[in-house]
Amino acid sequence: MRSRFDEQLATLNNELTQMGAMCEEAIAIASRALSTGDVKLTGKVVSLDGEINHMERTIETLCLKLLLQQQPVARDLRQISAALKMITDMERIGTQAADIAEIITFLDGRTGGECEHIRFMADAVSQMVTESIDAFVKQDVVLADAAIDRDDVVDDLFLQVKSSLIELIAEKPTDGGYALDLLMIAKYFERIGDHAVNIAEWVAFSVTGKHKGAEKL
Amino acid sequence: MTKKIFNSIMVVAAAVLIASLVIIMGCLYRYFSNVQGKQLEDELSLAAAAVEKNGQEYLEELQSNQYRLTWVAGNGDVIYDTQSDEESMENHADREEIRQALQSREGKSLRYSTTLLEKTLYSARRLNDGSVLRISVSSATVWMLVLGMIQPILIVIVVALVLSGVLASRISKHIMEPLNSLDLEKPLENDTYEELAPLLNRINKQHRQIDVQLSELQRKNDEFTQITQGMTEGLVLLNEKNVILNINPAALKLFHTKKSCIGKDFLTVERNHDVSHAIQDAFSSGHSEIRIEREGKEYQIHVNRIESNGTVIGAVVLAFDITEAAFAERNRREFTANVSHELKTPLQSIMGSAELMENGLVKSEDMTRFVGHIRTEAGRLVTLIDDIIRLSQLDEGCDMPFENVDLYEVATDVAAGLADIAAIKDIEIAVTGETVRIKSVRRLLTEIIFNLCDNAVKYNKDGGMVEVSVSREENQAVISVKDSGIGIPAEHQARIFERFYRVDKSRSKESGGTGLGLSIVKHAVQYLNGQIDLQSSPGEGTIIQIFLQEDKNDVMQIS
Repeated sequence: MRSRFDEQLATLNNELTQMGAMCEEAIAIASRALSTGDVKLTGKVVSLDGEINHMERTIETLCLKLLLQQQPVARDLRQISAALKMITDMERIGTQAADIAEIITFLDGRTGGECEHIRFMADAVSQMVTESIDAFVKQDVVLADAAIDRDDVVDDLFLQVKSSLIELIAEKPTDGGYALDLLMIAKYFERIGDHAVNIAEWVAFSVTGKHKGAEKL
Repeated sequence: MTKKIFNSIMVVAAAVLIASLVIIMGCLYRYFSNVQGKQLEDELSLAAAAVEKNGQEYLEELQSNQYRLTWVAGNGDVIYDTQSDEESMENHADREEIRQALQSREGKSLRYSTTLLEKTLYSARRLNDGSVLRISVSSATVWMLVLGMIQPILIVIVVALVLSGVLASRISKHIMEPLNSLDLEKPLENDTYEELAPLLNRINKQHRQIDVQLSELQRKNDEFTQITQGMTEGLVLLNEKNVILNINPAALKLFHTKKSCIGKDFLTVERNHDVSHAIQDAFSSGHSEIRIEREGKEYQIHVNRIESNGTVIGAVVLAFDITEAAFAERNRREFTANVSHELKTPLQSIMGSAELMENGLVKSEDMTRFVGHIRTEAGRLVTLIDDIIRLSQLDEGCDMPFENVDLYEVATDVAAGLADIAAIKDIEIAVTGETVRIKSVRRLLTEIIFNLCDNAVKYNKDGGMVEVSVSREENQAVISVKDSGIGIPAEHQARIFERFYRVDKSRSKESGGTGLGLSIVKHAVQYLNGQIDLQSSPGEGTIIQIFLQEDKNDVMQIS
């Protein structure tokens, strides 16, 4: 009985890892599409988003099945409930990466070169997602903390992007629409960063039983 | 063991106790019942005689607690009873003993109380006058006796429990001691129950089998580890559930993981979508391969399914570092492109001049200049082709004779040969140092020193100087070429030994180089198993040092 349960937990872990890897890929491709202005890449992000949504359903079903059939307690319960929360964040990451991809198609091949911070932001967020997925795979609280700390960097970068876009509009009012698109992209990156923090917090919860966010309240 | 012995002792004790109880009680009870019956008969005879004689008076006088006498008339009415009031007693005609007595003079019966704890024995006799005298005595039944004996029985049982417990533990300890002290590592050296001998023999045999198999397994495992440890290719063995069974150091490095990943899913080590896909492909189709990039290096990953008797038991992941191969491939492509370009430039120039001459556009007094031009360009082509041939010879690694060479002599020869060109730019070539004799290839050494000095002169300032020194350090010969030239910027230093690489692309024509000189030096030094050291700062000059192993050359000479 227990060995079957363990097998199911391992499957859950694998599926989550795969879903995380998809999110990493989606955001990496989105940031590559932004920096190269390659509109062909955006299609890939959208199709990945579809796969991620499908994966969320699969994992959700598996989690509910485990909760019903095995009635887990303690660490197992934490793991499964954390998984349920994490897939929501992962799904949001996928969707927002797709949103970024969609906006990139409106940029007419421009790459946001006027505002280099947005590229730093893309890199930082990409790394945050990788770190939080890594933290999940290795069940490593230190890595999770690193991902959580990086969010401050992303928030700072967002403010810098904002101020440099204000300058851009002031200099070239005709580029107003373009600047707003870039701001939206930056905002989506910032949101993805927040979701990565959530994932990292749930990883810490499933390992230690304490939720990081609770301390700050 | 103790429990089993305890149980058997208890069962035996209980059985003996119950059996003896039943037998003794049975015998004694029957005996006493008989005695009582006889006594009752006797008493009845006496009482009957007395009643015949004295009538009711006797009965009234009789003082007995043990017996109860009842005198019943022939119709069953009670005439007198020693213990109760005869008026209140009912008709006794239907009592069994009375009925018997009325019929056949004597009657007997036995009746139990409702609780079965007491029984009453009746004996009756018909008197001469037709009335019946009955005597009865009450006594305890067997059950009553047993009930009375419960306390001693319980005590006996408790004692038996304690005794059997103590005995059981002692016996089992005694029996088990030789078994517990059995040395199973050396089964045949034990001195114990002979009944155990076959078992010990069997264990001994299996011990030997296990030892043999274990050492065989260990040997195979060692072999496997030795082979995989030394491999530069990353190797990962997976079972059919994608769990890592074995991973070698190269793969640990490639996937940035630790030995502790063994037993975990491969996904935890590498979750790249393409890689997981490739592994799934391999599990379904048998083989797959992909290229991935890691930290600037390129890897080719082959995944092969492992099957045994038709069932999939796992997969092998093999990762090759193809960075160098890919780099070499790129280099080859670049070289071809460069060579064709370099060959074409002088030919174009020759073609141009020749066409002008063909069409008679060249005045006769300019003819010499044009022909000279053609000759120079042709000369450049020859030099270039010579360089390429030399390079390809070095690439092929064809055998060249090792002989005793004096480096100082070679250096002075080269310096003398370059003196004319150097003089044009007013550059002095100084050769310093001592005679250093090593076993080497004279042609290659000349090539190395010539190319270094040639560069030193070409990329020098007018009036500069070139210093060639030959010395011996420990067991190495050192050739050092120092110039006061333009130097090489740091970002170019790593690439100047590549074929056709030039720091300043526009100067190629002016300086007349082929772009192959340093490449030839690099290959020649490699052929001689030496090393090159480059120090340069733009504007100040360059020092290139060549270190040649003496011993190595000797060894090569002997072999």
